[in-house]
Amino acid sequence: MTGDDHIANGRTCGEDAAAYALGALEPSEAEAFRRHLRDCPDCQKEVAEFEQITGALPDSGVRYEVPKDLRRRVLAEVRATPKAAASSSRRTSARSWRPALAWGGAFAAVVIVAVVLVVALSSGGSSPRTIQASTGNADLQIASGHGDLIVHRLPQLPAGRIYEMWVQRGSATPTPTGTLFAVRPNGSAAVGVPGSLSGVSAVLVTQEPAGGTLAPTSAAVIVAHVT
Amino acid sequence: MRFRQGAMRSLADEELMQLVQDGDVRAFEVVFDRHSSAAFSLAYRMCGRRATAEDIVQDAFLSLWRSGSGYDPRRGSVRSWVLSVVHNRAVDAMRRLGAKSGLDVPDEGIAERLPAAETTDAEVERRDDARQVRTALDELPPDQRQVIELAYFGGFTHTQIAEMLELPPGTVKGRMRLGLTKLRFFLGEESRVTI
Repeated sequence: MTGDDHIANGRTCGEDAAAYALGALEPSEAEAFRRHLRDCPDCQKEVAEFEQITGALPDSGVRYEVPKDLRRRVLAEVRATPKAAASSSRRTSARSWRPALAWGGAFAAVVIVAVVLVVALSSGGSSPRTIQASTGNADLQIASGHGDLIVHRLPQLPAGRIYEMWVQRGSATPTPTGTLFAVRPNGSAAVGVPGSLSGVSAVLVTQEPAGGTLAPTSAAVIVAHVT
Repeated sequence: MRFRQGAMRSLADEELMQLVQDGDVRAFEVVFDRHSSAAFSLAYRMCGRRATAEDIVQDAFLSLWRSGSGYDPRRGSVRSWVLSVVHNRAVDAMRRLGAKSGLDVPDEGIAERLPAAETTDAEVERRDDARQVRTALDELPPDQRQVIELAYFGGFTHTQIAEMLELPPGTVKGRMRLGLTKLRFFLGEESRVTI
């Protein structure tokens, strides 16, 4: 398709380029347009130009000061998160985990709360879906192969403790995602699952020492099975 | 290589990101201080809820710390990348929570407006850019500005906007395209904002 085609028929991918740059296409349309973009240099150019504009839109509003407690919270988590541990989620190194024994032992030792979510994730599906926990303590939102975990009414942890997220692939030993989080005073939090859920069979959350660990030291308080 | 904090603050974002990827907390702190206000302002404007905005910003910056979340300097500045991540997560949150536009959502905590201090050349330049963007938006016909704001800041899809305004979806897409094209013209190549 050429730029002339866009102008000549007045309706085609050119219209989608603007809506795409604004994030306003429906998920299925956005997916189809992304596929189209790979082979349409005109749309690639147009999207790039529109994204320059949409990238400037945040400047049009009032600027707010970052809440001091947000800055403190973010920097505290960063300082408590060893970069090596954080980046280890991108590796599949066996040394990252002492497999099953630690995991199984932790499970046996302390059972606090287990929320089990069973998620039917079709391999090609891209429609957003929200799966509610049967006990109502967590939702897993899946869109375009990525997940967000929304937790409710989890207890606030004492100083020196933090929630840590893990993923499991198939029946392999779970690996750390590098995601550590605290809950708000009402026990809620919204946490993105890093990376794609492709191949992930379960998302888990445990309580760990601040800074996180490479192997769980307590039972999972959330287990979301992605099948 | 180790930098004193003062020297660290003189580094470009792209240099800081290299240090961040090596685990340098001070470099991350500088990146956070440079861009968190814009990130929080965007999230707050979109969601209208301070707590949600804080969660979004926290999640975005922690993902930057953990893995860079796919930051690629060839595809734009750190600032535009951070704001893009925040925007995407805010849209996700709004659709997930079924939130309406932040403009009419009651707040549970009022954020403080940023003082108008212009202490650095970069900040002065950014405020000039902001004025240009606001002026350009004001120049748009109201119907084009409306669909752009509903889409970008409201997180609505073109289908939702069409239902809301009782317009054919094609009309909404057309207004989006016309509006963005005019903004591109207004802002122009020479005065294009730095993002």
